[in-house]
Amino acid sequence: MSKAKNPAGGKDNFTRNLVIAVVIGVALIMLVPTLLSKQTDTSAAIPSSVSAEDGYGIVFNKELTDVPFIEIYEDFQCPACARFESIAGGYIEELITTKKAKVAFHTLSFLGGESQIAANAAACSADEGKFLQLHKTLFANQPSENSGAWTTSYFSTLGLGLGISSSQYDKCIADDKYMGWVKNVAEEGAKRNINSTPTVLINGKEIDRETAYSSLAGFMLAIEKA
Amino acid sequence: MKNKHLALQPWLGLISRLTLGGVLFVAGYLKIDKPDISQMAVRSYEMLPISIANLLGLVLPPVEIALGALLILGALTRVAAALGGFTMLVFIIAIAQAWARGLNIDCGCFGGGGSVAAEDTRYLQEILRDLGLVFLAAYLVRYPFTKFSIDKKPREISEAKGDVE
Repeated sequence: MSKAKNPAGGKDNFTRNLVIAVVIGVALIMLVPTLLSKQTDTSAAIPSSVSAEDGYGIVFNKELTDVPFIEIYEDFQCPACARFESIAGGYIEELITTKKAKVAFHTLSFLGGESQIAANAAACSADEGKFLQLHKTLFANQPSENSGAWTTSYFSTLGLGLGISSSQYDKCIADDKYMGWVKNVAEEGAKRNINSTPTVLINGKEIDRETAYSSLAGFMLAIEKA
Repeated sequence: MKNKHLALQPWLGLISRLTLGGVLFVAGYLKIDKPDISQMAVRSYEMLPISIANLLGLVLPPVEIALGALLILGALTRVAAALGGFTMLVFIIAIAQAWARGLNIDCGCFGGGGSVAAEDTRYLQEILRDLGLVFLAAYLVRYPFTKFSIDKKPREISEAKGDVE
């Protein structure tokens, strides 16, 4: 459509092209930062119990080799994860303390905001040797998703309740010290094709969806067979 | 019949634009701030290598938002409708193959996604919905000039040809 044929055409086209450019520009502005933030940041601070080669999980009994290796991918805000924790959490803790299994916890943050805050706090508590206690407490008192309950001050107070009395813990929480690590855990989970939470692997193989997540007997059997 | 359609076409086009554009825009908007879930939804179709699925999970939401916005505004209608229809066709293929292979997943169309219990799959509804949207997209590709759009009908050209439609 040329100007000669339609004198108004030029102006119309300008508006139209501007709208198209703005829409595409906004889409790019949304896309590019996300793409950049999805790179594993190898320089991010990690808690001492974390093992980068185990997918940035918080690992217990790292040194044991002749025991089953349990990998747990979970999100602190996910109700199904809370259910699994209430069913098998105590048993897993027992396996850890009696050195009958190597266990890696991967705190994913599919559910966003407060999952990330909780995962960061969990890493801070790991440095104080209180990860398992915090883990259990969070799942036992899980609020509804992103309801605003899990703030940094909540986790500072919770630390006191768990007997953590170090200023380092408070600083770790206030500074989001391990947020880079939280993103690395998520990124690693994505690379390992973890498509739901909880996902539990024993020696690299997922436990049976029908039986081993919903019953302690089923889960114990899966460990026995490993 | 033809004359009736001639009168109705800009309005039918408007409805098609707003429906297809609205669905695309909302679908993208609901996923844009949940990149981890969006990536998981694409991975769980088990169609693509994991790294490519993860990339697509990040790219899809802003693309859906852009196509949706263009359709709602009525700018670049034909191209946006063609691309929107194409994505819907790809979704249909993806859902159908998941169904055929017996995967138990949520389509993740509007956020969510990933593995679900077998009784919670909605493959047929999802495919029928997307088929309807493909139909709307095809209609817009055929008749891209609609009511209240930024795209203007090239009047003199259509008049010279006697406005065949």
